[in-house]
Parts: sequence; structure tokens; C-alpha cells
Amino acid sequence: MKSLRWKETLQQLFFVANGSGFIVVFCVCFAAMVTILEASFHMKMVIQNDSMVPGFAALLILKELGAVVTALLLTSRVGAGIAAEVGLMKVTEQIDALRMLGIEPVRYLVLPRLVACVIGAVLLTLIANMVCLICAMLVSDLMLGYSPAMFLSSMRIFVKFQDLLLAAVKGAFFGAVIPLVACHFGFRCRPGAEGVGSATTQSVVVASILIIVLDFVLSYTFSYL
Amino acid sequence: MNHLAHAIDEIGRTTMFFAALLKTMFRRPSRFGDVVDQTWNVTLQSLPTTAMAGFFVGAIMAVQFTMQMRDFGALGYLGGLATSGTLREVGPLLIAFMLSGKVGAYTSAELGTMRVTEQIDAVRCLGADPLQELIVPRFLGIVISSSLLLGAGLLMSVLGGMTLGHLFAHVSPEEYVRHIPTILTWPSILIGFAKCAVFAVVLATICTYRGYSATGGAKGVGRAVVTTAVSTMMCLVVMDWVTSYLAEAVMTLARGP
Repeated sequence: MKSLRWKETLQQLFFVANGSGFIVVFCVCFAAMVTILEASFHMKMVIQNDSMVPGFAALLILKELGAVVTALLLTSRVGAGIAAEVGLMKVTEQIDALRMLGIEPVRYLVLPRLVACVIGAVLLTLIANMVCLICAMLVSDLMLGYSPAMFLSSMRIFVKFQDLLLAAVKGAFFGAVIPLVACHFGFRCRPGAEGVGSATTQSVVVASILIIVLDFVLSYTFSYL
Repeated sequence: MNHLAHAIDEIGRTTMFFAALLKTMFRRPSRFGDVVDQTWNVTLQSLPTTAMAGFFVGAIMAVQFTMQMRDFGALGYLGGLATSGTLREVGPLLIAFMLSGKVGAYTSAELGTMRVTEQIDAVRCLGADPLQELIVPRFLGIVISSSLLLGAGLLMSVLGGMTLGHLFAHVSPEEYVRHIPTILTWPSILIGFAKCAVFAVVLATICTYRGYSATGGAKGVGRAVVTTAVSTMMCLVVMDWVTSYLAEAVMTLARGP
């Protein structure tokens, strides 16, 4: 615990959480609206009415959309930022300099980012889920005519507290993937501006794929809980 | 307030860039070979990634729908619901997110590097139009190949859903496919592919604009890449909602009151 650089960690946390907060909330709001519209479309088709839309949509939001959309946004913002930063340090030989000074670069650079990203991703996932649900509530009130009270009571039938916790767990996993992948590509960055560019691109792609795969694995695992 | 003004500024500039792009495209068409080259490049680069993303998105949706429907004993609908849900909503969005990381970042990095190393100015010096020579082929290439890739990703998502339906929900593939047409109608498929096309245009416009207007050395290129990814994703979610909403409105009109 002592080896963790608290100040750096807090700065990173500010960058991760505060910097991405607005984008995450904005994107998640629209995702919620689409989810409600589409869920209502499907419900009407299968069981002729859409009375269970709030429950189903809330479940989909909590289990998938909130965490995944947040994580993919974080990847392209935070992951790309970290990869570019670390890659630039590698190219300008700052990492070698650290090693010369007897400082372990992994502990010095990666650990604060990892801790900050995990905490930030969990917080953002929870915020995103809440905002998404509130937004879904608004849309179903305005467009489908379910009052917030009906939405909540329908939600209670389907959603358990456990779901929110599992969403947070997913957020933590995704938050860990992002800095690890970004730092990996940053440390292996080839020299030159082009190297930094390709490290950034690769880290975003690999992290997004890993997030989708991991999401599948986690959903599969959680389904047995 | 400053942020808002800046955002509106950027939206306006991007729209003007898009207009200039369209004008160039029709007035002075680019070489056909260039467009084909770009299309081939982008498709080849991103096909494995997109296919994999599509497969897993389909798989996730199948697992989620199974868990929701098991309680109702409605697993027979799994094939239809999972396919329709993936095709109309989640599939295009998530796969386009993926592509914006891959294609968008790559293109804006490439164009940004060309801009800051003054290669774009060099093209202009030689009396050629950089929009016609560099941007329009890339734009068209990305639009064509992203539409194809998104389509391919959606097909893979059906495969993923089918596999997981078999493994997880014990719905045999025949059963799964047999129930697809009960829920998935032609309008739904059309909406899915229309979304893909819209997303492709959004993606192509933003990444070419960001790359083309990059300033300030290597750091500027890095900034361009990050803002490309972020603004693409924001526009994608907004367009996702707009297309869903419009599709709903059109369907209501077509169905009659």
C-alpha cells in the first residue's frame, strides 16, 4: 500500500472519472431511450402489450448496457490517453531513465493508473446505471405513458439488488482491462510518432474486444449465480 | 457556456466539411481505383475484429434473453427475440463503437500525420485538390466497407446467438432459426441495415474531418485521435436514437392510424 503513489492515483482518478463523467452520462441517456423504444416494439410483437417493458428494459440496462457502454467510452478516452502518454514516455526514453534511477516503471506508472481506473470505472458504471434508469423512466412516462411509480413497481418484480452489485463487478473488471492493455502497448511502443499512433490504436481495439469478450464471460458466469 | 459554444462550433464545422465533401464528390469525382483500394484496405484490416465482436455481441444477447425468458417458459421465442433485438438495436451500436476505435482512429491518425507533416499542403502545392485526392476516396472507402463490415458483424451475431442458444439454453439451431421469421420482419432487417449505413457515414465524416483539421505536431495528432473516438461515439448514440425514432414514426405511418 505504501508503494502506491496516492497523489498520482488521485490525479488519475480525477482524469478518469471527472473527465469522462459528462460523456458517459450523455451517451447512456440516449442508449436508454433507444432501449425503451425497442423493448416496447418487441413486447408489442410477442405478447401484444408492452406492460412489462419497464422491467425488461431495466434488466437489460443494469445487466448489459450500463457497464458495457461506459467501458467502451472509457476505452476510447482513457485507454487511448494512457497508451499515448506511456508510449510517448517510452519513445522519449523516460521509462529507461526511470529504470536507471532504480524506480520500477510498472509500479511507478501502471499501478496508480490501474487503481484509479478500477475505482473510476466502478463509480462511473454505477452513475451510468442510475442515469440510464432515470432516463428510461422519463422516456416511458413521456412516450409510452407509464408513470414513474408504475415503472418502479414493474422494475421491482424483475430487478434485484444483486443486479446492481454485479454491474459494479463488471465495471471493476472492465476498469482493470483498460489500463493494463493500454500500458502493455505503451511499453512496447515502437520509436517515432507513428509508433505512438499505432500503439494507441491497437490498445483501443484490443481493449474493446477484450471488454466484449469479458462481458460475455461474466454474463455467462453470473447467470449461474 | 464555453464548452457548449465550442461543441456547437465543432458540429457546424463538421457539417460544413461534410457539405464540401459531398460537393467535391459529385463535381470532381475521385479515381475509381483509389476508392477500391481504400475499401479493400479498411475491410481487410477490420474484418476479423468486427466478426469477433459481432459473434460475442450475439452471444451476450442470447444469454441475456434466455435468462429473462426462462421464467416465462417462452424459450421458443429465443431465436426471434435475440436476433431481432441484436439486429435492430444493440448489434449496430456496439459493432460501430468497435469500428470507431479501429477504423476511425486509424484514419484520423493517418490524415493527421499527413496534415502535421505538411503532406496535405504539398498536395495542394502540386495543384491537386486534397479533398478530391485524399479525403473523398477515404470517405467513400470507409462508408462502403463499414456498411459491409457492420452487415457482416450482424450476420456473425446471428451465428453467435445460435451457438449460445444451443450451448446455454439448449435450443437446437434448427429451432432457433425456425423462430427467427416469427419476430424478425423485413422492416426490422431494413432498419438494422439502415442504421449500419447511417453509422458508417457518421464515422467516416468525423474521422476524416478530425484528421484533416489536426494541428500542432505529434501531440495534435494524438489529440485528434482521442477526440475522434469520443465525438464519434457521442454522435453514434444520438444517431441511434434518431434512426430508431424515425423508423418508429415511419412504421406508424405505414401501418395507418
